[in-house]
Amino acid sequence: MQNTKGLALEVRLSAYIDGEVSDVERRELEHLVNSDDEARLLLEMLKAGNNFGNSAFEEFLHDPVPLSLVRQIKQGPGAVQRNDRIAPAQPRNNRLKLWPRALAASLVLLLVGGSTGFIIGKASNDPLLPAAAVAAPTWLDDIADYHRIYARQDKHLVEVPATEENAIRSWLAESVGVGFQVPDLETEGLTFQGARLLVAAGKPVAQLMYKSGEGEIVAICFLKSKPGSSDSAPVESIRDDLAMISWQKAGASYVVVGSSAKANLQKLAERVAGLIG
Amino acid sequence: MLPKLRRFALTLTRNAADADDLVQEVCERAISRNHLWNGEGRLESWIYAMTRNLWVDEIRKRKVRAGAGTVDAHDQNELSIEASGEKLVYANQLHKLILSMPEGLASVFVLVNVEGHSYKEAAEILKIPIGTVMSRLSTARMRLAAMITETSERRA
Repeated sequence: MQNTKGLALEVRLSAYIDGEVSDVERRELEHLVNSDDEARLLLEMLKAGNNFGNSAFEEFLHDPVPLSLVRQIKQGPGAVQRNDRIAPAQPRNNRLKLWPRALAASLVLLLVGGSTGFIIGKASNDPLLPAAAVAAPTWLDDIADYHRIYARQDKHLVEVPATEENAIRSWLAESVGVGFQVPDLETEGLTFQGARLLVAAGKPVAQLMYKSGEGEIVAICFLKSKPGSSDSAPVESIRDDLAMISWQKAGASYVVVGSSAKANLQKLAERVAGLIG
Repeated sequence: MLPKLRRFALTLTRNAADADDLVQEVCERAISRNHLWNGEGRLESWIYAMTRNLWVDEIRKRKVRAGAGTVDAHDQNELSIEASGEKLVYANQLHKLILSMPEGLASVFVLVNVEGHSYKEAAEILKIPIGTVMSRLSTARMRLAAMITETSERRA
């Protein structure tokens, strides 16, 4: 508690609003406000300023955070000089070596990901758009569009629910031409919701949908690759608010799609790659 | 936490470019020096204090570069970056208005009123006396109240 006696009335009333005055002072100020119109008006002004400031500063949280800033932080200290803010999409395994300590990793997650109200600025407005985002295969663009639409369908997220996992496996394997297992990502905080059959770049695509405890949607999509396609390592690309980690393996192309604010998407994709095929 | 950290940085720097540079530097430092956090109190307080310190250092460097000689920033009562209309890059007029408040008001307001830090915590983060926290807070509230009329007139 603060002793505000002798200070200007607005300072005292301000401390009163915050509950930072003693009981004796509180009673004194309440008596003053009840008996003095000027003091009451002053208190109302302070409260009005409070409310106005609260809502105005709340709006700041909805400002787009520059994508380049997020990526820069995710890459870690010393990865790029402060005045050279180019953030190329790279496989995360290089970055993982920079973060040996669990606490450091958790700090990155805390700072960058998982925040309510965290909004990434549109990459199209970001001068540091990764080159990979521009030169990505067309089917990924279609997948990004699908994700934006279906991820918002709370009541109709999937065509076939997770309870029919066996049916999903046989249906999509036959339709897409790629055998697969439904990855169990519960340890990653993601629960399998079900599946859809999509069409991207004129080909059938399987879409497996997962939801986190916070309601965030992550999708795994795959289709049969062109004959002769060779395996490739995961590559990260950005589509506005979405991050996509794509790779090719054993005649199929895969992609994991989630919010570009999701800090551990690369790790998740690596786990999916190990479980799905 | 990133949007909140960026908001706090904005209250210090009062322009987005400096705020983003500051946030990046703070994040790098927080991660590389995580072993220095003792796990007590709010993590935000530790990071915010680091943010304030880095910004004060930056201001001091700029003053030296500008030929103003060595300045002990910790002895300064007020920092001296002007929040002129040209420097503010936010399109939102309200943000401009908020960030054009005199130095030090917005950061105290955000810490205490918006994020619920006590006067003592805010004083520790900003390295200012509690009395200064109190006076800045009441001034900020009065300024914000005046803005209500100002923004209403602009809309009209």
